[in-house]
Amino acid sequence: MISFKKNTCRVLAVSLLVLSFQTARAGMIGTEQAAADAGATSQRGMVMSVLQRADTAAQLQARGIDPAQARERVAAMTDQEVSRLASDMQSAPAGAGMDSGAWLAVVVVAGLIWYFAFRK
Amino acid sequence: MIAVLLCGCAQFGNYMVPQTMTLRRDWPEAVPRHTEIPGVPFFPQLENQCGPAAMATVLSHSGAAVTPEPLERQIYLPARQGSLQVEMLAAPRRWGRVGYLLAPRYADVLREVAAGNPVIVLEDVSQLFFSQWHYAVLTGFDYRRGDLYLRSGSDPRQVTSFTAFERNWMKSGYWAMVVTAPDRIPVTATESGWIDALIALERGGNRDASIAGYQAALERWPDNLQAAIGLANLYHQRGSMADAAQVLRRTLARHPRSTVAMNNLAQTLSDQGRHAEALLQVDEALKLNGPFESQVLATRQLILSRMQASGGAPATSQ
Repeated sequence: MISFKKNTCRVLAVSLLVLSFQTARAGMIGTEQAAADAGATSQRGMVMSVLQRADTAAQLQARGIDPAQARERVAAMTDQEVSRLASDMQSAPAGAGMDSGAWLAVVVVAGLIWYFAFRK
Repeated sequence: MIAVLLCGCAQFGNYMVPQTMTLRRDWPEAVPRHTEIPGVPFFPQLENQCGPAAMATVLSHSGAAVTPEPLERQIYLPARQGSLQVEMLAAPRRWGRVGYLLAPRYADVLREVAAGNPVIVLEDVSQLFFSQWHYAVLTGFDYRRGDLYLRSGSDPRQVTSFTAFERNWMKSGYWAMVVTAPDRIPVTATESGWIDALIALERGGNRDASIAGYQAALERWPDNLQAAIGLANLYHQRGSMADAAQVLRRTLARHPRSTVAMNNLAQTLSDQGRHAEALLQVDEALKLNGPFESQVLATRQLILSRMQASGGAPATSQ
């Protein structure tokens, strides 16, 4: 996917710049950081988090969401949730409600049962 | 013979609808046998849009004026023709509300409904070999008749039995969530679960909502360190330095060895121009030899450079 590569390149370029100019940031230690474990708050952890967000947003785009909305949806989630979303997108339950597809399947199955039951 | 059959029936019930059977023995304490939340809005769902419809229902009830249309852009996933659970939990944050995942138990769900919080449930409504996932909103129940009341699809008041509903609901692992204003803590919320949800709300970006949430959480759980840190951070972001400092001082009274609280208090004092006090505070933090050492050192550096810039000589630090 071209957009995924583009996003990754952008994120990597920014991360390299960030890492080369800063070791630790002065100032308030953030709430999420204070609550998280050491792995997530390391420089590497933070870069991985940024990369995963870009990747997951790209995956949403590939599934029909426009880019700005994809970024906003990912931005509202914690790192753990972003990771969860990436793995859920393929096959986790997607609530939809009764739709015409299901009714068609019911009719077809009922028809098949009737056919095989009454053929004898 | 009849005793054997009855035992068999009970065993069968325990197998088919275990949580309904548990309710028979163990009705949750202080929960009435029948209740229905008044005034819960109804949004009939469009095709595949039970997620936005259910979310609009509970968000509106919690006080955020919203219809399913804007939610569609936030929750619906075209390629899957439906809405994912993790996105359902995250969406309320964009409206200044908290999505809270309930424990997978009938008792908890009933307790929330009895307290006036409608519950979004995920159920498999297909009776066949494939799954048909569906979000509905539980708004009431009458245990004497064995009935539950749901806003579901195009039905504003679907009546279903405890047993039939459990059969569908168990397939999602008894998934259920509530949406509340940040200062209204769900009755079944645990301290750590609720604080995690508030930290996630902060990530979602609505500052005033997060402040209200942390304030309410601290009233309920005064010793909670994360809520205090969160509140102070938000006051600081907003420019309310005095409020931030006050929260952090109170926090240090309860948690004297918190590196984060000391670091953040030092930063806040420096931002108020009180560099000498800030330096003392950050040195206290370093003495703890706790985590975040590199950040605390960076904060110290910042304070020193500000002291030099403002012309005062730095105090000789030990």
